[in-house]
Amino acid sequence: MVRDETPNLADVQGNILRGYRKHLVRHLVLTVLDRRAVGNWLLDVTGRDLTAHQVTNAEPWDEKPSTCLNVAVTPQGLAALGIARSAIETFPTEFVAGMASRATKIGDVGESAPENWKPEWRSPERLHLVVTVHADTEVDREALSREVLAVGGGQAFAVLASLDGAGFPGGKVHFGYRDSIAQPRFIGAREALDRPDRQPLVEIGAALLGYLTPIEDVIFDVPKPEVLGLNGSFNAFRVLEQRVVAFEEFLTDSAETILASPLADQVLPAGIERTWDPPMSRLDAMRELVAAKVLGRWRNGVSVQMSPHTPTPKPPVSEEQLNDFAYREDTDGARCPMGSHVRRCNPRDARIVQRSTNHARRIVRRGIPYGPIYDAAQPDLPDAPERVERGLLGSFIGASLLVQFESILYDWMNLGLLDPRITGTNDVLVGNNDPAFSCFALPVGETTIELRGFSRFTVTRGGAYLFLPSLSAIKHLGQSAA
Amino acid sequence: MRWTKLHATMMVERFLIWYWKRRAPVATPQWGWKTSLADNVQQQMNLIMPLADTTGVGKAKAVQMVAANIDELFTGLNNIGTVHSARFDLIGEYLCIITVYDGDHEVYIRDFISVFGSVFDAMIKIVADPPPWPCELYSAEFVKWIGDHEGFQVPYNLTQMFPDEKNLENLSRDLVLLLADNPYVQIGRFSGYPALSTAQIRLAAGIEW
Repeated sequence: MVRDETPNLADVQGNILRGYRKHLVRHLVLTVLDRRAVGNWLLDVTGRDLTAHQVTNAEPWDEKPSTCLNVAVTPQGLAALGIARSAIETFPTEFVAGMASRATKIGDVGESAPENWKPEWRSPERLHLVVTVHADTEVDREALSREVLAVGGGQAFAVLASLDGAGFPGGKVHFGYRDSIAQPRFIGAREALDRPDRQPLVEIGAALLGYLTPIEDVIFDVPKPEVLGLNGSFNAFRVLEQRVVAFEEFLTDSAETILASPLADQVLPAGIERTWDPPMSRLDAMRELVAAKVLGRWRNGVSVQMSPHTPTPKPPVSEEQLNDFAYREDTDGARCPMGSHVRRCNPRDARIVQRSTNHARRIVRRGIPYGPIYDAAQPDLPDAPERVERGLLGSFIGASLLVQFESILYDWMNLGLLDPRITGTNDVLVGNNDPAFSCFALPVGETTIELRGFSRFTVTRGGAYLFLPSLSAIKHLGQSAA
Repeated sequence: MRWTKLHATMMVERFLIWYWKRRAPVATPQWGWKTSLADNVQQQMNLIMPLADTTGVGKAKAVQMVAANIDELFTGLNNIGTVHSARFDLIGEYLCIITVYDGDHEVYIRDFISVFGSVFDAMIKIVADPPPWPCELYSAEFVKWIGDHEGFQVPYNLTQMFPDEKNLENLSRDLVLLLADNPYVQIGRFSGYPALSTAQIRLAAGIEW
């Protein structure tokens, strides 16, 4: 049944429609050992026992809670909680098959191939639930995590992994960019019109099952029974290692290449770096420009579409203006290259090959860094006993893994189908890059500078396709299991 | 006499296929994703749909239905943006849609639904075993149904289909068994411009992409 009314926000998990903006996150990757105990806990956290920490829903807050709790489940988890095989088979093929089985499609090959993932992601039959704890303080995160793991006298779950993430100052992530600036604004959402954004509002069916989607007349199939599927969503959960040192070296190499080119002053007008705040050397400024062009935003979040030659334009781009731009007039990518990360992920109003899909693949992104922040003044020692790993715990949320997440990765990030001028190239930041073929085209006037020979800067270390059930569905799972 | 001999041969063959399908079954090779550009552009979809009404009148209705919607079909194909070519054929008692496109098959079918789902709904009504419609509301079932009605595409190198086959003499038996399960087969397709997308060709030719 198609619904065009506003969903009951009390029935929707809160992490789908809004970011909590908590400093700390812990993802508990769990195996269900005691089905009955887990079933009772699911009932408790959805209203039966109000002394238990409740699953955080999407209702507006009068006061922001100190901690938030969310639950996601795999197909194997559905089975472990007693859901019939016939019901699980009503879920989309890609979810039932699992992320690892779609690895080649989404570019998880070579180093990123599932056989190289961390152990907790290599045994799908044991991967049942991902319970996520969000908190402002370490004390709160620990307390809520302990509460979850104490279920059934501490015997209900086996912990496959406990993945901690912590936000960096200024909302930045590894690679040094400010993140989570652009998210879909859903029709009817309270904050939809808070900030200027030239993109159309998005139908709620892009994020929740059972509602109209941005694709005309199309709804995504709701798994059966309806109480299990309605108001649910899917999460492509990814553990993405980010190779900061290699990326910084790429910036230096690319900057030197451009500076040696006769086109250097067209790429970055001579002397403009001295007007930046703070001023920079020519080399450092060119490094920042390359970083900005491959992402589509300067590391401080200002779009290169709005400010192609400086991260600190005058007058400044305000916080509210960060999404107030379009690509339509930038037909040749002179400001924001067609192959930049943000333009590939979300081409906005740019002319693209698949004309009906400009706004049809919008997804919600939630991410938090893991591992230590990189300090160029104290670089990692190459002969250290253990390699320093840093990256992103990313959640890519939408009502269709296939139409949204997979299509973006396959068609746009790794194939470049959206524009014939970048077809056959991968995204610099997250693409499946091979030094033998990798290429980033930087348009300069009537020509382009091609940056080549770079390797993979983001390596998948694990992940799973998860279902984010509604609160009614979590109760249903609880009843099924208990 | 001649008819009888042929008949007997067919009977024996039918028995042997039945026997060997149980003794040494051959799984239809599953399509797998690849990462190279050449493997991801110019894909083929060969949709073979049995008509519900195979009389002369039924066939005429099928042709008329496609012809009446041909402008909408062509506009939709153009809007998908990744289509190299598409043919709508009536072959015997089957309505066939044979296309060449860029990118992922599932995404392509989804794009089909979004740009001319209503035409597909009309088409579904004249085939023998239709999926639930409207396809906009049953998109997953529709995608699966399309998969079930696609002709099997023999890989470029036939011998790669059975990489574990040690005895080449067995290949013909395996092929016979494979064809018994997959009667509609694309044996090969030549491209005069390999590894190029529709939009790249249009761009090079100065055609709006």
